[in-house]
Amino acid sequence: MSGMWLHRKFEEHTGLLIFGILFVSAIGGLVQLLPILDQESLETAEANTRPHTALELAGRDIYIREGCSVCHSQQIRPLIAEVERYGPYSRAGEFVYDRPFLWGSKRTGPDLHRIGGRYSDDWHRIHLLDPRAVVPGSIMPAYPWLARRAAPTGEDMAARMAGLRLLGHPYTDEDIANAGAELDGLMEIDALIAYLQSLGTGYTEAGP
Amino acid sequence: MADLPSVFWSGWIAVLTLVSLAAMVWLVWSIYFGRDAGHGPESGPVWDGNLREGNRPPPMWWFWLLFGSLIFSIIYLMLFPGLGAFPGMLNWSQGSRIAESYDEYEARFAGARAEIAAMSLAEIQNERGLMAVAERIFRRECAVCHGPEGRGQADLFPNLFDVDWQWGGGEEQIRQSIRGGRNAVMVGWAPVLGGEGIDQVGEYVMSLAGGVDEDHPGKAAYDQNCAVCHGADGGGNILLGASRLSDPVWLYGGDRESIRETLTHGRFGVMPAFDEQRLDDTQLQLILALLVR
Repeated sequence: MSGMWLHRKFEEHTGLLIFGILFVSAIGGLVQLLPILDQESLETAEANTRPHTALELAGRDIYIREGCSVCHSQQIRPLIAEVERYGPYSRAGEFVYDRPFLWGSKRTGPDLHRIGGRYSDDWHRIHLLDPRAVVPGSIMPAYPWLARRAAPTGEDMAARMAGLRLLGHPYTDEDIANAGAELDGLMEIDALIAYLQSLGTGYTEAGP
Repeated sequence: MADLPSVFWSGWIAVLTLVSLAAMVWLVWSIYFGRDAGHGPESGPVWDGNLREGNRPPPMWWFWLLFGSLIFSIIYLMLFPGLGAFPGMLNWSQGSRIAESYDEYEARFAGARAEIAAMSLAEIQNERGLMAVAERIFRRECAVCHGPEGRGQADLFPNLFDVDWQWGGGEEQIRQSIRGGRNAVMVGWAPVLGGEGIDQVGEYVMSLAGGVDEDHPGKAAYDQNCAVCHGADGGGNILLGASRLSDPVWLYGGDRESIRETLTHGRFGVMPAFDEQRLDDTQLQLILALLVR
């Protein structure tokens, strides 16, 4: 067998060369990506995972806007040190209603995937406005404007929810209609706290 | 890999992987040892009249590098999950890795932990080493709200090292506070009392430390609305988490302004629940030893 013959063939036919390059670079995707497009565990919600409410969804947008995921990850790896510190490791099915997921890859601050329910709303409020007031050694910046800016309007969130419904998130007409009432009179900080309190609550070890 | 959509996709992955591996082996082999390997420019085609191209493989250490990587890949695919649904000869998985870590953890510490769980609080309190561990757990789990020294902070989170316990300071009561969490509910009284009423009741509450003043203008409204939870003498009620108003300890501030704020808008103190995952029985026992006096 001779590689030289094939080599020459590719070198002399540009079209064949282009096709060859495309084929070879596609192999990784064909093996790694194509099969999981249809993988059930990536599409099935964990038992208690539900779509974000209008308020949580608004909070999530603020979380993205403020760049929280630059310093905080949302993925607890299956290692004993992480499980002991943060709680049960993250399951794929917990992220089905996150578009996109906010796993992050940097932990300047702690992981936030199981932050929901760990602290009271009041604590979060103080901590977001002035982190040093409750954690003296913290290097987290303060976000005082969150308490001064009104949360997005109900129409705004209703439009987003309708968009997400097109992508398969099971919002009912009622959920969307109630978005306005849910956000009425609230500030950005309320939305962000609601989002934080919902994080990681979609999974219970006991589970049904 | 455990839940690949079908046998087809599992086979797809395995076949594509193995075929590309074989192609790579053939490619590397043919470059170095094929029929044309090592031929100089004299054998190649002529480009632009005088440019010739031959086949001179890179130095041999490159071959060993490539060959070594291929061998490594083959061994890796045999040992670890990678070829479709094949779990690998080591049967390794992320789930089993953490389960093994926990087995090892149990084997190393279960004895010591059982011992601690069986000790009385007084016994733990006499062991300096254990109390140091308790303090570490406290700093990790409790200090964020209650302050690094547990002395409370932000006029919101109670001091745990004073005499006053809103929900009771006994072992069982504190255990319940930690395991089940607490939700204190004091509604705002502005609609009922009105501005003047709030001022009067506030004054009365501040005077309770000196005993009940029968003639105080705020007494009637206090007795009617507040005494149910806080007691006619301001003694509080640990079953409801209603704080004692007749002592000098004020969780949300004891000055006139703070009390007016409390009466107007209410207070909703929340102690989150710490389940077994977050604080297991041994750790809880240590924390109790730290808190119960």
